[in-house]
Amino acid sequence: MTDASSADDDTGGADSTAGAQPDTPENVAADGGSTTAAGPAPGSAGRLAPVTGFFRDHPRLRTLAVAGPPYGILVLFFAVPLLAMLLISFQTGQIGGAWTLSNYTGFLGSETYLTVVWRTFLISAQVTGIVAAVGYALAYSIVRFSRRTTLLLLCVILPFWTSYIIRMYAWINILQSGGVLDSALAAVGLPTIGLLYTDTAVLIGFTYVWLPLAVLPFYASLTNLDPDLIEASKDLGAGPVRTFLSVTLPMTINGVVTGIVLVFIPTFGSFITPRLLGGTSNVMIGMVIENQFKSAFNWPFGAAIGMVITVVVVALLLLAARLGGGLFGTGGETA
Amino acid sequence: MSVLARIAGTGERFVHGYASRMAAVVTALVLAFLWLPIGVLVFMSFADGGVLSFPPDQLTLRWYRVFLSNGAARGAIVTTLTISIPATILTVTLSTMIAYAVDRYGFVGRSWLQLLATLPIIVPLVVTGIAMVLFFNGTLGLPNYVSVVVAHVIRTIPFATLVILPTFLSFDRSLEEASKDLGADELATFRQVTLPNVFPGVVAGGLLAFTLSFNEFVYTYFVKGSSDPTLPVYIWNQIRYNVTPEVNVISVVFLLVAVSMVLVAVWLTRVDLLARR
Repeated sequence: MTDASSADDDTGGADSTAGAQPDTPENVAADGGSTTAAGPAPGSAGRLAPVTGFFRDHPRLRTLAVAGPPYGILVLFFAVPLLAMLLISFQTGQIGGAWTLSNYTGFLGSETYLTVVWRTFLISAQVTGIVAAVGYALAYSIVRFSRRTTLLLLCVILPFWTSYIIRMYAWINILQSGGVLDSALAAVGLPTIGLLYTDTAVLIGFTYVWLPLAVLPFYASLTNLDPDLIEASKDLGAGPVRTFLSVTLPMTINGVVTGIVLVFIPTFGSFITPRLLGGTSNVMIGMVIENQFKSAFNWPFGAAIGMVITVVVVALLLLAARLGGGLFGTGGETA
Repeated sequence: MSVLARIAGTGERFVHGYASRMAAVVTALVLAFLWLPIGVLVFMSFADGGVLSFPPDQLTLRWYRVFLSNGAARGAIVTTLTISIPATILTVTLSTMIAYAVDRYGFVGRSWLQLLATLPIIVPLVVTGIAMVLFFNGTLGLPNYVSVVVAHVIRTIPFATLVILPTFLSFDRSLEEASKDLGADELATFRQVTLPNVFPGVVAGGLLAFTLSFNEFVYTYFVKGSSDPTLPVYIWNQIRYNVTPEVNVISVVFLLVAVSMVLVAVWLTRVDLLARR
């Protein structure tokens, strides 16, 4: 991929030098500029001049030269691996094994695994519900009632950019028996609870990591809401609650759906949080996959479970698209 | 019915009277929830006792010294940097090309390119992670280092593109027209007019890509094979098998890297730009 992108730079660099006439002042400036702008040495220009002219006469190829390398890399290293996973999920035991359906029948026919899928779904739904409610309340409070919107939003986003594992570790410090929470409870004379390795710990951990992510689309859709609509609703006699339910919420439903998708999908596939904060009874589907690749070494079986997750995710995305989440498009509202 | 209406009316009056105070309470509580754990982490990095004792008997810099003299931890940082720096450079180059192509050229498959550049955010990390280990390590047989760098590029492209693309879209195109009218060709225009204008966005995209790559765990965990652990993988092993208070110190290192990078990125662009996208 390095070759592809640098080759493109070369043709482009030659383009500039060949395009400008050598005796104009602009050209001198252009060459001077190239040293700061990470361009190739102008010396290669003459050699590549025919190529440059060719690109100027063929704008489609020029487009290909700019869009092609990133396109190729995303296809080869992102799309193709996912397709390869689909194929491998139909093979026995190892990559290149005989074709079979046994990975799927083995997974879907096992009550243990289906219980894990169902539990994963329940946990993801709970996390999504909590994050949506809290995140929306926060976004609403910031947009409608705060002056320092930018600063508050920054305070919400910043934790999202620290390491996921570190954020989980912070909660281990707090939730473990004898940890910060227990000490605080004991200090005010309450019984200690030692929440680590429980469902509650997993819910707290997930809520903590996804809250900043969900606030962004909520915030964006609330900011884009025309305040005149709210005024109109109030002028027509609706109180704040009715205005919220019949104007604000329906008008920001795209942001809500986007936020829900952004929380549910990664939660459904997660293995870090349940592994670190959950107990042995809190197995989630992501942990089963991790096992196949880190201890059981049955890659095709792991690929089949990956496909099961993918099917759930695609179903959810289709549902979200029907409900009107603007997830794709020009950057959309995706975090 | 009239009782319901009266209850609803009371609710409306309550919300009307207390809304702004409720908003302040919600904001304060959620911000406390988001920042208290981080505060605890920083505080515990100075704790003298073991991991399990809170509150600590006494504060100390001991664990910082332990961290600095720990070859494995320092090695993990170097390993992370040898991956993150090339991955960031590749990502910024590719994301800028995507932004330029999407903004300037109409071509068949343009929306597919945007979709492809967004999808890695949406597909669960564990799914892409195992797809990569199957294809990179299993099918292609790429060296571990190459696999990890490529995985980081795929992980960071969507975020860098989300930051860089808006700066291209909001850039005043008439400046480019002027440049071309004055005789400059497309590349000279790009270097002298376009790039200086979009540069803050490109740098911000790069900083976020670096932060993300520095923190990257899931893809790395699957793809890295037997190669040296990056800092997040090192921490994962520490937490799972032998916790020492040193982990708190490494957490502070992560925090400082992330916060400083993001603050510079925000300063270079605008925070609401991040929110809109």
